[in-house]
Amino acid sequence: MESAAVLAKEVRNWKELSEFSRHASELYTECGRSQPASDALAKGARALEDFAPEEAIQLYTDACDALEEDGKEQMAFDLYRAATSVYIKLEKYADAATFLLRLALAADKCNATHSQCKAYLSAIIVHLYAHDFQQAEKCYNDCCQVEAFLNSDQNRAASRLLSAYTEGDVEEIKRAAQSSIVSNLDHVIVKLARKLPTGDVSAFKMDTKDQEEPLDEDDLT
Amino acid sequence: MSVIDILFRVDSICKKYEKYDVEKQGSQNASSDDSFARLYGWFESQIEAVLHKSEMVAMETNRAAMVAMNAEVRRTKARLMDEVPKLQKLAQKRVKGLSMEELEVRKDLVLALPERIQAIPDGTAAKQAGVWEASTSHKNIKFDTDGQFDDDFFQKSEESNQFRQEYEMRKIKQDQGLDIISEGLDTLKNLAADMNEELDRQVPLIDEIDTKVDRATTELKNTNVRLKESIFKIRSSRNFCLDIILLCIILGIASYLYDILK
Repeated sequence: MESAAVLAKEVRNWKELSEFSRHASELYTECGRSQPASDALAKGARALEDFAPEEAIQLYTDACDALEEDGKEQMAFDLYRAATSVYIKLEKYADAATFLLRLALAADKCNATHSQCKAYLSAIIVHLYAHDFQQAEKCYNDCCQVEAFLNSDQNRAASRLLSAYTEGDVEEIKRAAQSSIVSNLDHVIVKLARKLPTGDVSAFKMDTKDQEEPLDEDDLT
Repeated sequence: MSVIDILFRVDSICKKYEKYDVEKQGSQNASSDDSFARLYGWFESQIEAVLHKSEMVAMETNRAAMVAMNAEVRRTKARLMDEVPKLQKLAQKRVKGLSMEELEVRKDLVLALPERIQAIPDGTAAKQAGVWEASTSHKNIKFDTDGQFDDDFFQKSEESNQFRQEYEMRKIKQDQGLDIISEGLDTLKNLAADMNEELDRQVPLIDEIDTKVDRATTELKNTNVRLKESIFKIRSSRNFCLDIILLCIILGIASYLYDILK
């Protein structure tokens, strides 16, 4: 089946390629070999990345699911990362961030704290790049619930970045984004970080002030 | 007469005429009868020693030694000042064989003692009156300085300015160096963590490989044993040699035919 998929790639027959890949993975799963199943799907997805990215993402997701079912999340990291890069190319930042959080979840199950923290930091950066400060803050607060993230360098870098954003200090944002911790992330994320800040940063300052006032009223009453 | 003989003669003459030696009588009397005179004698000797030390200080060039000796002088002076009240009490007492006038004299002597003690130079005399009036409440705290608190003691000299600048420059350079080191360490840490996770990922794979290879080795072993057995069986009978001989004959015939056909 896999050879058929390769041939389909040569011929550039996309639909058949994805069909062949799926069929191959199904056969593998029937034999109880999940790793080759996900490999088949991943190969198909990689071939489709440039031409039918939606389909590629679908294949990646299926591959990750297959691995997670079998308890082999470690292998899924690469697939998640590839899927996020496709999403970012498509400029679907919310989906990319969701995928990164799924990656963090998988990393948590394997106790891979370093990958987990990197995934969280990448998710925050993606939100910031999408110019969605509230989402980024929410993401940060969620991540702070996780102990492993709380004690890590990535946490410090994230808080630095967010505080730079709240202060609207462009220089500080640039410096935080160029720091070595951010440069250790996936190269796609690093490219995004270099391009920060996007848009008008002072708008964020206003937003936070507005948020504070309703809280004050609640406290007084 | 030799020198030694002269010395001995002088000693014996002195001993003979001791009773005419006023000073010695006085000190002897003091040591046996009069505690006041004894104490006073002790005072005198202490004061002389301190004066001698302060003279040495004046001649000393090493500042640390100067400071140390001045400190000692001050300590002795303080001790002497403490002992003065005792002496005063003794001076009030009446001793047998002492006239009223002598008693008065003694009192005057005692009164004069503190002044004499204070007059001994110990390096702080010059500025004591002026500078430390403000700190009279802190009598117990004494600054162990030479007292040269002239106006330009605390002023920035050029040297100290330069030192300060150099110090700042070096601090900045150190900070830069430390920044570079910390960046390098960050990279190292990241690499190490990634390697760690990668290895964690490889562990179950290698376990699988281990089991599979074990299975393969056992199979190979079995196969080898069986092969050995079959070869052994073949070898034990004569068939093996016969096979070789027949093979050679066939090869010979084949080559013969080949030659003929050529």
